[in-house]
Amino acid sequence: MFAFTVARRYLFSNPSQTALLIVGVALGVTAFVFITALIQGLALRLTDDVTANSAHVSLEPVTRVARVLPSPDADVESVAIVSTFQRRQIRAWAPTVDLLRSQPSVSAISPQISGSAFLVKGEAVAPVAVTAIDPAGLDAISPISTEIVSGDANLGADGILIGVRLAENLGLSAGQPVLFRTDRGVDRLLIVRGIFQTGLQSLDERVAYLSIETARPLFLLPEGVTNIEVKLVDPARARDVAAFLADATGLRATSWQEKNANLEGALVAQAQTGTLIQIFSLISVLIGIASALSLSANRRRGEIGIMRAFGVSKRFIGGVFVLQGLLIGVVGAGIGCISGYALCAWLATLSKPDGTMALPIAPAEGGYVTVFALTTLGAVLASVIPARSAAGLDPLEAIQQ
Amino acid sequence: MSAVLEARAIGMSFRNGDELTQVLKGVDLTLGPGELAALLGASGSGKSTLLSIVGLLLRPTAGTIAIAGECVDGMSDAQRASFRNQRLGFIFQFHHLLPDFTATENVAFPAAAPAGGISVAMRQRARELLARVGLSDRMDFPASRLSGGQKQRVAIARALMNNPELVLADEPTGSLDRVAADQVLDLMREINREEKATFLICTHDEHVAARCTRRISLSDGRIESVISASAGDGGS
Repeated sequence: MFAFTVARRYLFSNPSQTALLIVGVALGVTAFVFITALIQGLALRLTDDVTANSAHVSLEPVTRVARVLPSPDADVESVAIVSTFQRRQIRAWAPTVDLLRSQPSVSAISPQISGSAFLVKGEAVAPVAVTAIDPAGLDAISPISTEIVSGDANLGADGILIGVRLAENLGLSAGQPVLFRTDRGVDRLLIVRGIFQTGLQSLDERVAYLSIETARPLFLLPEGVTNIEVKLVDPARARDVAAFLADATGLRATSWQEKNANLEGALVAQAQTGTLIQIFSLISVLIGIASALSLSANRRRGEIGIMRAFGVSKRFIGGVFVLQGLLIGVVGAGIGCISGYALCAWLATLSKPDGTMALPIAPAEGGYVTVFALTTLGAVLASVIPARSAAGLDPLEAIQQ
Repeated sequence: MSAVLEARAIGMSFRNGDELTQVLKGVDLTLGPGELAALLGASGSGKSTLLSIVGLLLRPTAGTIAIAGECVDGMSDAQRASFRNQRLGFIFQFHHLLPDFTATENVAFPAAAPAGGISVAMRQRARELLARVGLSDRMDFPASRLSGGQKQRVAIARALMNNPELVLADEPTGSLDRVAADQVLDLMREINREEKATFLICTHDEHVAARCTRRISLSDGRIESVISASAGDGGS
């Protein structure tokens, strides 16, 4: 393709100008990659922080409302009242667990009995949110066993795990007994097997874990569970998976995004800000390409005029400038992607004194394919204006100047 | 023998605001095969305009033109561009070679651009033409490294690349010193004789016109005189 040869020679004819142009494009692409990796990294970190110790999808029974029962006597209406606790039960939970196990998007399942209780130690009383689980799946949703700072994670038949703040408030230590009183009015003495420290105040101060079998008589729930917590391979898909599970099971399925609507709103706003910055950096790159090629077209008016006089087609001349744009776009975007990745990878190695990353950057999430495609396409589009201007030159005017 | 160029009643006028300027007023011009004609005239006489019209770079406001027996009046812009590429050659005062290309590539350019590349045959033809204009030792030199006279020789070779029937030259020696100008003129005469290509040279230089076989003088948009030199005339 001769137009490609001409385009390449034109670019090489002024190496310093071409190099500056490519550096400009590469810098724009690097900025794009950096912003994308930073925003994605921040979103991932926030998502991780939120979802690391909680489920991605929660399945619960659909809340039923009291309904008016028909009566043969038209003057009398009866309201059906069902035990509040009964309403929250998933009686046939095993088929639901089987269905969840068959889903490749699901990485962990935890059928649970959740409820409220009090821990009583002498005169000290503390309310706790109880999570009763299968001891084998203790870490399915929240990695508790790795956070044990005292005792162990072996629940047994009469064990309970509590957070470090709760233990401090009640003056409890591992191995000590504590009175457990449920909101159903059932008491039992349990042994504090382990004390965990997740760093999340809500967990460390308010949550207690025990075995689901231990919890059944305490919460008067001999068969069912109150909720099934699910972890996904890709937390970002939680909303879709929740919709599917709601349809498939008839249960109420809540994604972690729904539970954290404020966080999602913040992430969307952050992504929109990032998009604006990306658009402006791309626009500046494209304006640079368009102006540089326009200058080139103007500088080569004489040559273009001669080409037109010799009957070289407008398409050929336009093609030479579009191909220059394409070459600049491809090379600049390629270098920008590499330098952007290198910058992000270096920044990812920087850490604060506590060992956490200095910047929540995700080098792999730099949007490389997107920015490469957009820059290349944009460079071609930016070159259309100088290409049309060059192709439309009047040969006589151009030669005589 | 049919005419290479047959222009009839060529008129050209330009509008500048309310004012209509008539640059050419019914010019008739016929050139036969192998002619070396000089188109003379003072500045503003219309000679460059006539050359541009004959070269299909400008459409006349009146008259008809046939080149090598083919009427070009009704052609579209794309057809005229293709016709220029295949049948006409151009030499301008400012050669405007592509500085980033070698002499050979510059010569081959008019054939290579429509074909999509320089074929072996094109390269061979370009090298023969460069040898013909005395640049055997500069074939692979970038155009930017050639002297003014050498560049104009390359421009002559480039004009001949597609074996044109008519070569149009606009002040071809205007930017050269006397020695280089004489060399270029001698070369054009030689090619004219040997390749049998018809040349129409637009000039205001009597020295150039004296070396041509026909002198066509334009004045105020009309042909004032046509003087043919006898065989062997045309300077030496």
